[in-house]
Amino acid sequence: MTTLRFPLSRIEGHARVEMEVEDGKVISAQFQAIEMRGFRYFMQGTPAEQMPVIVPRICGVCSTAHHVASVKALEDIFEVEPPELAKEIRELLLLGQLIQNQATSLFIFTMPDRVGASSIFHMDESEADPEQQLSLAQRALKVRQIGTKLITLAGGQFIHPVKAIIGGITSGIKKEDAEKMLSEVKEMLPIACTLFDEYWEMSLAMRERIGTWGDDQPAFYIASTGRTRPQLNSDTIRVLGPDGSERASFPPHLIREYLDYQETEYSYSGQSSYKGQVLRANSLARMNLALSMGTPCADNYLDRLTKTFGKPAHPILLFDLCRGIEMVYAFERAIEILSNDLDYEDTDVPYKPKDGEGYGLVEAPRGPLVHHYTVKDGLIEDAEFIIPTVHNMLAIERALMVAGDRYVSPSGINLELEKAVGRVVRAFDPCIACATQ
Amino acid sequence: MSLINQSLPRFAVLQLSGCAGCEVSLLNANEWVEKYQLVYMPLVVSTHTVPEDTEILLVSGGVRNDEDVYNLRRAVKIVDRVIAVGTCAISGGVANLGDRDEVREMFMAQANRHHLPHLLPKSRPIDAFVDVDLYLPGCPPTPELFMGALTGPENFQASSIVCQECGRKKLKDMRPKHLLGFQQGEVLPDICLINQGYLCVGSSTRGGCRAICTRPGHPCVGCRGPSDAYIEKESSVWFDRVQQVFERLTDIPPQEIYDALHSPQLSLFLFQFADYMGNGGPARSKEKVL
Repeated sequence: MTTLRFPLSRIEGHARVEMEVEDGKVISAQFQAIEMRGFRYFMQGTPAEQMPVIVPRICGVCSTAHHVASVKALEDIFEVEPPELAKEIRELLLLGQLIQNQATSLFIFTMPDRVGASSIFHMDESEADPEQQLSLAQRALKVRQIGTKLITLAGGQFIHPVKAIIGGITSGIKKEDAEKMLSEVKEMLPIACTLFDEYWEMSLAMRERIGTWGDDQPAFYIASTGRTRPQLNSDTIRVLGPDGSERASFPPHLIREYLDYQETEYSYSGQSSYKGQVLRANSLARMNLALSMGTPCADNYLDRLTKTFGKPAHPILLFDLCRGIEMVYAFERAIEILSNDLDYEDTDVPYKPKDGEGYGLVEAPRGPLVHHYTVKDGLIEDAEFIIPTVHNMLAIERALMVAGDRYVSPSGINLELEKAVGRVVRAFDPCIACATQ
Repeated sequence: MSLINQSLPRFAVLQLSGCAGCEVSLLNANEWVEKYQLVYMPLVVSTHTVPEDTEILLVSGGVRNDEDVYNLRRAVKIVDRVIAVGTCAISGGVANLGDRDEVREMFMAQANRHHLPHLLPKSRPIDAFVDVDLYLPGCPPTPELFMGALTGPENFQASSIVCQECGRKKLKDMRPKHLLGFQQGEVLPDICLINQGYLCVGSSTRGGCRAICTRPGHPCVGCRGPSDAYIEKESSVWFDRVQQVFERLTDIPPQEIYDALHSPQLSLFLFQFADYMGNGGPARSKEKVL
């Protein structure tokens, strides 16, 4: 028996893949998360009200989702409902994160795979026209920066936001600031679309070269998005069957009843499943669970995807294309919100801290994120972080097995396998800092 | 035209156990793209070790497991200049909150996995293992600060404390009698957060962040650490200073301020040079801190 170990890069955090090969056949594929800091342990004893500032530090890529989930969990315990303005600004914050994350995944993590480069900053190693590439890297960073700017505007601090507070937000957005941001978003939208078109072309070329969009079997899907259009701040998690029928719909406090969870000896991350079945979260899950995007450009792209692949669609490289559709959606939705008045007095409602148990749900870029806190004497007694990447763990391993079967045979191991491992893992855009905390 | 110009200075980013927020911030500082060659940074480049001819090494994240120790020691041998980036690399960061015996015991008993990098009893700053040429504090440092660290501290201008970059007015006649809950209550624009009863430590936290938290209304939690006036002194001097500011500007009972400042879980401790309290090593020279 031979063990193949693949170090991973262009993903968030530290992880590796180990495959065992015997007689020309892959017999196991493990996705190993190899870091851990221990948030669940050291959050015990923390004053509950400080959580929204501490938990963004779980992950600098997903910090906004943790910030909002934390505030919502405490609002659930303190029984307080934030005003409309706060909800709008929190949505803007989550949209900023969606743009930043999907642009990062598309252009920095996965675009180099499409042209055979080691990074977006080294794209001249590839066969494509260097003239074009220079402008591509710069445009990609600019598109990504729109997300960062939205997070800064709606969240205060640019990586670990501070503006969402229990009961609301610290301040609205001044009209002149909103207008300035609005014109920047409008100016960048066509550039984002062009970049995504180029990405789609590159993806088609890659599919020609490797001969597949990812030939794994259909799966179950999980997301907390809306039925008719995307929703990042919902209160319901839904599960879709491989045939496209809705199998479950439940509030966050029931998530442990609907999903099974197990830990393994080979990873600092756990794994979850639905009735023993492989689950998928992230962009493709949301695309399969929502009827439309509700904004014109994003809906055009979605139509194109649906016409080609049907609905629900299952090939795993479609996760990448769906991220592009969501990036375009987030631009368009941000334009809608920034056109509203975001500078009136009603920023927050008063609350009284109290003890109890509560849940906060947001749809993070990687799927439904739940914070579950128990508060006693004003201090955190237990903090459970239910992380979307964990829902994808079994799906990643199953897809790795499929890739292994494709490139390993009794006559040898095709060198394409290492690239395939990277493509498979990046399609799921796992976040290891979150998965292990 | 190509992005790769072989004559540009070569830098690498070693990611230890952290949240990747520092790396994300660096990606926002896209000015370096034309001035430096990024040769290693697992988040964005598929190269698996720090190449031999790297000049500058940025290290983010704390030392949390034995693989972190190995990677850190190996990388610093290669490079000319080591920059510790962010609160985790400088002090162990938020993970240092696990530095309580009861937490550590539970953690070591339940968390470790035999076939994976082995967890150390506590998250350590990188200068517990290697020499550091420059510290860049912040959780995370802003893109502007990253550019300052790369191009040289002499090129970076900042106020000595966050207060001077905040612009909120301190009032003589607005004296709260108690601290507000950590986030509780309405925030008035343009008026100092201390006048409003928030536990803001911007008065002694080093400047350079441009007050990005306090301007929109959240108290400074001190992620950049103490200013030059306090950084070479014991942490008690620095805490006394915060205490004095509150006593001058408010009617909050001194004990209430003292207790709030010294609460072990208070977030300002987490994001500070956390090892300043208690068992830390010698203070870092202010010449080495941007």
